[in-house]
Amino acid sequence: MGEPVEDVHQLDPLVFWEHARSFEFWFEAVQGYLEGSSFGRHPEVPESVREADERDRLVTVLCNYCVGETIALEGAGSLIRVAPSRPAKVFLSTQTVDEGRHLEVLVHRLLELGVSDPEAEIARRASPSLQEFRRLHGELVRGDDWDAALFAQNVILEEMEFAVFHRHAQLADPRTREVLLGIVKDERRHIGFGENELGRRLKRAPDLQRRLREVRAELDPLILRTFREAIAEIGGPAAEREDLSKSYLQAVTRLGVE
Amino acid sequence: MTTDFLKGYDIQYWLESCPQGYLMDTEYGHQPGEREPDVMLRDPVLREQAVRTTVQLILGERCALAASSGLINAAPDEASKRFLATQTLDEARHVEVFTHRLLDLGIKNNELEEVLKTFANPHLVRFAETLLEVVDRKDFVAGVVGQNLILEGMAFHVFEMMQAGSQQTNPKFAHTLAGTIADERRHVGFGENRIGALIREHPERKADVEKLQREMSYHMLATFGAAFREGPSPQEMAERLAKAGIESKGGQDWQGVRLGEATPEELEQVLGDTILKEFKKRLQRVGVEYQTPLVPM
Repeated sequence: MGEPVEDVHQLDPLVFWEHARSFEFWFEAVQGYLEGSSFGRHPEVPESVREADERDRLVTVLCNYCVGETIALEGAGSLIRVAPSRPAKVFLSTQTVDEGRHLEVLVHRLLELGVSDPEAEIARRASPSLQEFRRLHGELVRGDDWDAALFAQNVILEEMEFAVFHRHAQLADPRTREVLLGIVKDERRHIGFGENELGRRLKRAPDLQRRLREVRAELDPLILRTFREAIAEIGGPAAEREDLSKSYLQAVTRLGVE
Repeated sequence: MTTDFLKGYDIQYWLESCPQGYLMDTEYGHQPGEREPDVMLRDPVLREQAVRTTVQLILGERCALAASSGLINAAPDEASKRFLATQTLDEARHVEVFTHRLLDLGIKNNELEEVLKTFANPHLVRFAETLLEVVDRKDFVAGVVGQNLILEGMAFHVFEMMQAGSQQTNPKFAHTLAGTIADERRHVGFGENRIGALIREHPERKADVEKLQREMSYHMLATFGAAFREGPSPQEMAERLAKAGIESKGGQDWQGVRLGEATPEELEQVLGDTILKEFKKRLQRVGVEYQTPLVPM
């Protein structure tokens, strides 16, 4: 299938635009880190979560990650219909399967941790702020608002997940760490697509900034609250909240949507 | 019960069997370096026929992409959502590989949409509109019947026939079709299993599903019928290929018919018989009775 792809953020923008949205690119990108893995990790990694309290906190965090990934799965699938170009539709189909995979590996991790009915457990432990985000994101998607829905999904939601999952992976048990690091690699690709697509559209239609600022004003408090809750659960110090928010804010600033 | 069958359709299985299985080491669905035979680009009749066929494949796959992605939100359970995510990517890959074939046949990127419009079969366009109306209503049962049983279940046999007919004359296209057929088999399997369970749970849906089948099957059969009546006959194709030194030797056998020697009527007959025979069996398995379309092929 060719040489493994480099980090999409280091690609020339034109090269990214031409190639990063194809199935071929997706396949080459995921092949490297998914080959030989089963449900997002290598089978030989031992279980090390034994304490009931640690397990319970991890289950709460993973349940909320599942909510985030379900939002992303439903969003990416629905956005295919409104995507303005054929390559964008193809990219979103690769994102759809990525999001489906994330949901699957996280549910599988819940089963490993002894959760017998993941769907019920996810519904029970879902954070109210994330549920509210789901409702608002669903409205944007159903309204066929490509720019706003893509911004909410591939910039706001994915940046938040990227920052939290990346930090959680550093603190997590080995099984959870491997699962999260695999997800983070996909998120980078999704963020790259979102920033690139929106960056181009913002150049052509500067008025779009105002619309995206409105979306941001509505969704920011929900996302930042979710940050706080997740960091508290994974055992990171409160000061980290600011650091994690920084990467999200940097992405938004890159687009000029301060 | 439903959850058990869905374990066979999870993303892990899909990753191992599809991207890490039969698509491994392929390039746009075929072996690296394979090309369309030169004669396809030189002979205007053969080229136009290849373009016309590929256009119908692209339009069918675009419809399937819109439908499978649209059904994710309508799916009643999380495992079905995940299966539909894999189907979405499969369909997008099909759109990509068949679009790539049009480019290989000399169509330029900026001509693509116009070429699709020129050669689109109106019955296929109507079929797509009907299916997407159902998907827009978030009707999961009707959507999966239309997409996974009617569109894919019927197209599956057409792909098989084209694949058998291309093995000797165009290995690149035959390889592209082989991967597509493997995907379609999985989609049809999911459709049968999931819809069978849902019809058992909701027997009140049977009547409107049968009505939908009647309308949609008509458009599919009319599309296939038109495909045989347009363009050169199989004999003319074989003669033109032979002039370029590509011997089809009567072509492969498919359902007891020599594809390179059959008349268009014989091909239409064998395809219709196969499609309907298999389709009726499939509907029976999910608990739906086949309804003869208003104007049969």
